[in-house]
Amino acid sequence: MRRSVSLYGLTFSLPMLIWQLLFFVAPLVFLIALSFWTVKNFRMEADFDTINWVTMYGRWVFWQSYGLTLALATAACVITSILAFPCSYAIAFKLSARQQQLAIFMMVIPFFTSYLVRVYSWQIFLSDNGIINGVLGAVGMGPFPMLNTVFATMIGYLTLTFPLVVLLQLFSLMFIDRTLIEAAHNLRCGRIRTVFAVVIPSARVGLVIAALFCFILSFGDFVSPLYLGGGDPTTLSILITDTTKSGQQWPRAAVIALTMIATLLAVAFAAVGFAYKGRTK
Amino acid sequence: MNDFNRNRFVEFGLRFYIFLSFLFVFAPIAASFVFSFNSDRFPSIPLGSFSTEWYVAVASDPLVWAGLRNTLFVGLIVAVISTALGFGAAYTDFRYRFFGKSAYLALALLPPTIPVVILGLAMLAFLSRINLSGQSISVIIAHIVICSPFAMAITRLRLSQMDPDLEAAAWNLGASEWAAMRYVIVPFAAPAIFGALFITMAVSFDEFAVAWFVSGLNETLPVKVLGFLQGQVSPRINAIGTFVFVISMTLVIFAQLLLTGGAKDAQSASND
Amino acid sequence: MQSNALVTFDGVIKRFGGFVAVQKLDLEIHKGEFLAIMGSSGCGKTTTLRMLAGLDAPTEGEIRLGGKPINDLPTWKRDTPMVWQSLALFPFLNVIENVEFALKMRGVGATERRKRAGNWLERMQISEFAERNISQLSGGQRQRVALARSLVVEPEILLLDEPLSALDAHLKVRMQSVLQNLQRELGITFVYVTHSQSEAFAMADRVVIMSKGVVEQVGSAQEIYRAPRTRFVAEFLGSSNIFAGTVTPTGMLDAATGQHRLPRAMSGAAPKSAATLVVLDTRSYLSAVEPGPEFDWVRAKVVGEEFTGAMAKIYLETSDGSELRVQSGYDELAALPINNGQELFVYWRPEDGHVLPNA
Repeated sequence: MRRSVSLYGLTFSLPMLIWQLLFFVAPLVFLIALSFWTVKNFRMEADFDTINWVTMYGRWVFWQSYGLTLALATAACVITSILAFPCSYAIAFKLSARQQQLAIFMMVIPFFTSYLVRVYSWQIFLSDNGIINGVLGAVGMGPFPMLNTVFATMIGYLTLTFPLVVLLQLFSLMFIDRTLIEAAHNLRCGRIRTVFAVVIPSARVGLVIAALFCFILSFGDFVSPLYLGGGDPTTLSILITDTTKSGQQWPRAAVIALTMIATLLAVAFAAVGFAYKGRTK
Repeated sequence: MNDFNRNRFVEFGLRFYIFLSFLFVFAPIAASFVFSFNSDRFPSIPLGSFSTEWYVAVASDPLVWAGLRNTLFVGLIVAVISTALGFGAAYTDFRYRFFGKSAYLALALLPPTIPVVILGLAMLAFLSRINLSGQSISVIIAHIVICSPFAMAITRLRLSQMDPDLEAAAWNLGASEWAAMRYVIVPFAAPAIFGALFITMAVSFDEFAVAWFVSGLNETLPVKVLGFLQGQVSPRINAIGTFVFVISMTLVIFAQLLLTGGAKDAQSASND
Repeated sequence: MQSNALVTFDGVIKRFGGFVAVQKLDLEIHKGEFLAIMGSSGCGKTTTLRMLAGLDAPTEGEIRLGGKPINDLPTWKRDTPMVWQSLALFPFLNVIENVEFALKMRGVGATERRKRAGNWLERMQISEFAERNISQLSGGQRQRVALARSLVVEPEILLLDEPLSALDAHLKVRMQSVLQNLQRELGITFVYVTHSQSEAFAMADRVVIMSKGVVEQVGSAQEIYRAPRTRFVAEFLGSSNIFAGTVTPTGMLDAATGQHRLPRAMSGAAPKSAATLVVLDTRSYLSAVEPGPEFDWVRAKVVGEEFTGAMAKIYLETSDGSELRVQSGYDELAALPINNGQELFVYWRPEDGHVLPNA
């Protein structure tokens, strides 16, 4: 058909473009500008002052929080990937097509339940007189303090990311050429070794992408560290919500947010580079 | 798979692992459901007696109703607009090739990769600047940004199931571009369009973080739940949570039925 | 000849970026003829059809329909319905709704278009499926729906893009006669694109052979078969023996396979000019002993055989590596010792040879 731009084509393509530029790109770009504003007498003023950056980066609390969030997110993505893999592997290779469909459908359900409510439920499970301690108590053990710990925060991250990681790993595993695996067995490669030598490398892209999404979600989540981890130590996301809601120090919050975006971009870039290393898309 | 290479214990172990995984995933959901009917204020084992008092408490709380009204109002509008934007973008990707197409697609699909805290802050600051913060419309605007990628992905998937000659065949038979869209593309994509409406509504329904930032006093239901969470332990959360879960699941099941039901027509028609 | 032209391609060139899909095409399609455009993938045949339908625009040149240029006419304003390779039937409409679609687009009223669509279903003998969903029909039935859908507007011309390629062999043959009869009955122009030589030769009045965007030859099936114009056509048809070489001062052809006589028509050929001699495989014969002086012959070794029931095709290779073929009735060859590696004589009458026009 004709190559030239038509009213018809524009009617369908423009709305999304305009909307995203206006309400997605512009706010994020605005964050950059915002980070240079100043707050005088509880009022924000448009300015070009690096004071927020200097102050924020000069605070030990910020770097501590940054390191902690980075460590937590990295731990989350590694732990979740490892815990999810046997499950996704099993679904991909050990279930029939119909069972697979059912399993996928069931893994999608959590996306449409409230994450908040699930976190609240975990509070019930993990609290000192909660379900787990109650069961343990019945056999004469504990009580173990599980709430307000890093352990609880990790449980929270798992709740947030496990289904997504399983699904992403699954899609990548399902498309592996089965004859590769049979060939490996044929060449006397044991089952477990085949997993590491054939399956994982073949699905590398999907596995890395799954881990990346887990990282992004955990890095930015404030609900688990706050309501299961007790808010101490503070993550960057909690820092943002505190700074915004109670402190009204939006420019400082912007500094934190931009630092987070930069970190995520760097991690994403590195991850995708690693995923596709040595192969074309 | 070759039967010789199966090991019965490994098989059982892996299947049991799947079961454990689902146990972990559904435990909090199930607990919430069970405890929503529990009479005790502090949920624990052993269970108290069966009671619907929390549902009653929630149902008689005008603030909860206000939150629900807001959520529904926002959800409906977000569903319609996101689906429209998403459909347009999906059709654009389906039909056209142009300079900067990758950038266009990236823009359309990027929002889910940005942490909601950051999005929330950015939207709050930006919308305040243009005096659009703290209202229901602020939440609508923000949710459309978040939900339209989903609508786009769903409709794009459906369009890729369409025989690429179908649109051209319509033109060939005398349909103008607009007529082809109306009589061919939309009818074919209808299951996905409805699916997208339901899914985007479900996503908006559950979204609390950005809504928390921008809704100000016009809180949506999830934001209310966040408030409850911040307050004392309140079993109302279970009641609301179960209620929200039932609504979301209904929407998702409808979407699933539409998408697979519609897809079956396409599959059998193109099986030659 | 001019007033008979329904479609004219005038110097049409189609480029996709740096790739030339169709090089300067000058072609006339006559009213009421069954024209086949034939070639292998990428030869430009489908692009040509699409340009006629308005799905791709020519980069240069003009296309005229009924004498009027249609370059700037969008697809939906041209009256050039097409039957697609995938049939492109609308899965969300039933059979009769599919067929009446074009009428609906023209604003024909509901009862009127139902009636007209119904007539066409009867004509194609699929009335009983009117209310069925197309997924419930067999391949052959769907073909008829596609035909009815395109013909319901009573066009002057029908375009067909390899419509039989997805059918089984026996269904293909049946549909070939359906199409041929339909075209003769309606008297409209059919433009049929295919990669299958047998389809094109079976149905078409004229055949256009294309390769790499260039028209190699246009003519009736018999013309092309007996008198290919270019080496490509001769090789493409695969039913000739080709001898390329130069003309000697004595009026013979000096080829790698030896010296051969040229047909009387070539007696004036200039010495040292290049010439290519082509002999049909059905006019080439095998012998175990040296043939008489009235024939030209070449020694070759048997390298393969093909049997199609009554006919056999024997493939041979000469000492210089040329591949030759001989096609004969099975009985005629039965007396000869035809085993792999067996050396035989391939011979023909010089007058049965055909020299390509431009060497």
